[in-house]
Amino acid sequence: MEIFIIFISASIVNNFVLTYFLGICPFLGVSNKIDSSFSLGLATTFVMVITAVASWLINHYILILFNVPFLEYVSFIIVIASMVQLVEMFVKKTSPVLYRALGIFLPLITTNCAILGLALFAVLRDYSFIQTIVFGIGAGVGFTLAIVVMAGIREELEMADIPYPLKGAGITLIVAGFLALAFMGFAGLISA
Amino acid sequence: MTDLFKEFKKGLWKDNAVFVMLLGMCPVLAVTNSATNGLAMGLATSFVLLSSAIFVSTLRHIIPHQVRIASYIVIIATFVTIADYFLAAMLPPISKALGPYVPLIVVNCLILGRAEAFSSKHGIATSISDALGMGTGFTGALIILGGIREILGNGSLFEVKLLGDWFEPWIVMLLPGGAFITLGLLIGFINYFTKKPVALGVSLGEDIGYREKGQFVTANEAYGQHQEKSSPVVTEKTE
Amino acid sequence: MNSSVLKMLVVLTTIGLVSGGSLAGVYKKSFPLIEKHRLEALKKAIFDVLPEAKSYKELEKDGLKAYQGLDDKNNPVGIAFEAEGNGFQAKIVMMVGIDNQFKKLKGMKVLYQIETPGLGNKIEFDDFRNQFKGLSVKPQIGYVKNKKPDKPNEIQAITAATISSVAVVKILNKEIKKMSGTYKLQG
Repeated sequence: MEIFIIFISASIVNNFVLTYFLGICPFLGVSNKIDSSFSLGLATTFVMVITAVASWLINHYILILFNVPFLEYVSFIIVIASMVQLVEMFVKKTSPVLYRALGIFLPLITTNCAILGLALFAVLRDYSFIQTIVFGIGAGVGFTLAIVVMAGIREELEMADIPYPLKGAGITLIVAGFLALAFMGFAGLISA
Repeated sequence: MTDLFKEFKKGLWKDNAVFVMLLGMCPVLAVTNSATNGLAMGLATSFVLLSSAIFVSTLRHIIPHQVRIASYIVIIATFVTIADYFLAAMLPPISKALGPYVPLIVVNCLILGRAEAFSSKHGIATSISDALGMGTGFTGALIILGGIREILGNGSLFEVKLLGDWFEPWIVMLLPGGAFITLGLLIGFINYFTKKPVALGVSLGEDIGYREKGQFVTANEAYGQHQEKSSPVVTEKTE
Repeated sequence: MNSSVLKMLVVLTTIGLVSGGSLAGVYKKSFPLIEKHRLEALKKAIFDVLPEAKSYKELEKDGLKAYQGLDDKNNPVGIAFEAEGNGFQAKIVMMVGIDNQFKKLKGMKVLYQIETPGLGNKIEFDDFRNQFKGLSVKPQIGYVKNKKPDKPNEIQAITAATISSVAVVKILNKEIKKMSGTYKLQG
């Protein structure tokens, strides 16, 4: 039950992008085609889950064991950067098409706040190993959901007649605002 | 001297990190529910920006090319940790209000972006003035956004009550949705004065600003691949 | 080749060591202060929910942590403990003060919440909080909407934030029941 709540909370109620503002860069940058958004969502989810696992191990077997909590941020970011490198190499080998489609956004997953945010939140909330994994999957699903929905809207927007000052970033942010308001409708799903 | 001032000035308006380059959006949106929080976040970010600029620029000839991103990340993360402990020890209420967004300065694209695109290629003095300018511009943007949201959402500015009891606060301004919408409108407002309308056919294909500026070019150089000068890779059809 | 790899290793190791070393120093300097702030906040919360208490001692029984408030003559005036559960958005954590017999609440203070600003976060405000002072918990805490409560064990839910208010009530009922088994004093 607890596990289920964590999943729903991370993916929908407290959506990483729309309530915590994590992962805004790719959310605004990549979200103009549904397929590339979906691929990026999957890649991010994958990195999230392995980062969740790695950061949990580091936290419990290095930071707490040797009492060096001050190395938390440094060690987490190093882990994330290396994980992203691995995923990048993997995608390049297995799916050149996907690699080309994701382009520069693949290495940029390193500076996706959602990933570091996930690792930090998991530590902050004292999640167990299983809970951390579920939290990672939930956050990834939430990120994918937000970015794909956004891409769907933006594909339509391309044809719309938008006042010129709002073209691009302006209208994207405003649409994101309405999406965030819409997602608030899910709040209360998990209340006691 | 004039050169240094030029580097400083560009971050304030022309290349403003928030309104023009759209960098570091997480903290911009997340902590700007009050002007005070915006100011604190801006100062913390500027501190990290300045310190990492000094170190990156000092060490630019020593750090080997292949491991420079890793080195920058470690340097940045170190200063973020210092800022985090400083806030927790000296200013606990601010530290509580900013919460996990202080550690998230590590992944603020603005800092890594400036380290890679500027400090790693320029001397200390120039890098410092660039960092100061970018930091000031970033802080200013956060205060503006936080101020607007605080006035409309709470009727106050820097926690001083401005509007009387007749004012019914617009709660939506304090919600995540309000953050997005305010920033979107603000960027539109700035574009209205700075950008001239373009011919229709061109504007349809136009992409959001930071495609050409800042982040993308930076990232391309950063990772030394995708040499084809950032044709909008992601918009390519991928049959 | 070898010399460049060596250089990479040396540079990275040096940066890592310098970073780790300086952070250890910063941590050593700031940790006592941070710990002091944490204890002060805890103390403030306990005295807030147990107004008669002049000092407190930490108790731990059956894996449940609580703080016993003591007056100037070291007589127990009540128990304070942390209660947490799911609210509208995410977790709500509160400090709760209750008398020794677990009959009446002495106070409640929200320690952590991220409920909707302007609506749900009113659970932190005094108007809502003060309803819990002297509130009977027998048989359990109840709530009413849009009118003044008429029973000694009822509170009025915040208009437009019923879910947050009810979440607080539910968390309190659950945690009070849990703690009463361990810490209730007879008599």
